[in-house]
Amino acid sequence: MTNDVLIQILAAFLFTMGMLVVLLRRDTIMVLLGIELLLNAANLSLVAFSKSMGMVEGQLQVFFVITIAAAESAIGLSILVNLYRNFGSIKTQSATTLKG
Amino acid sequence: MSPVIIVLAVISAILAVSMLFARNPITSALCLLGVLIMTAGIYGLIGEHLVATIQLVVYAGAIMVLFIFSIMLLNLNNEETDFKTKPGVFFGAIALGMTVFGFIIYGLNEHFMNHRNDVTAGQFTPERIHELGGNSKVLAHALFTQYYVSFEVISLALLIAVVGAVVLAKRKFD
Repeated sequence: MTNDVLIQILAAFLFTMGMLVVLLRRDTIMVLLGIELLLNAANLSLVAFSKSMGMVEGQLQVFFVITIAAAESAIGLSILVNLYRNFGSIKTQSATTLKG
Repeated sequence: MSPVIIVLAVISAILAVSMLFARNPITSALCLLGVLIMTAGIYGLIGEHLVATIQLVVYAGAIMVLFIFSIMLLNLNNEETDFKTKPGVFFGAIALGMTVFGFIIYGLNEHFMNHRNDVTAGQFTPERIHELGGNSKVLAHALFTQYYVSFEVISLALLIAVVGAVVLAKRKFD
């Protein structure tokens, strides 16, 4: 088992854990944290494959993914602040009406 | 394979599991921070120094601070932090996760055992990267020549997202 295989298995495991966090946790903030873990697992897989094949496209893709993750977390957290202001709770099942 | 990478991988797997089962969102966020730092260590150990730095500065530095700030800002009490699901939902989600993990492992096995030599390798072998002046120089050159337009577009997208976040957070609803 080489480093590549180990890193790919770790990326698969982190992806599974991120998916379970998104599915199982009730807080909206935990869903956002799970999405960050999913993106991190995808980044790890991209970098390891790109490195082992002698390319740079994967690493450049990772820069773009990290930028998108920053934008997504900024928007998501401001939506979350609004959610807390309007419903008094950030659980996913408390946001049931469109009109706040 | 390097023993340090094994140690980092095991620590980050343990931190990911404890992130799933932690009751307090702050604990989960700190576990995620640990996972990100371990990932940056793995990037550094396989020779991707620029990606490791970006991961530490942007991901572990900026994004996680934003998360921890907003968890503390929202002042989540213990009624927000409980972690109750029905047993059926819990085991269904675990089974779904195991299925996804199994499919990914199956795909990886197919790739590494049977189709490893089907892909043509790129030109950036470690010797070539060393010859060209190091990992950071190669990546920066590709980023500012071949992917220049994508870089500008993504910076504009980030600017719009941050302005939108400020507008959304400051907006008063009647």
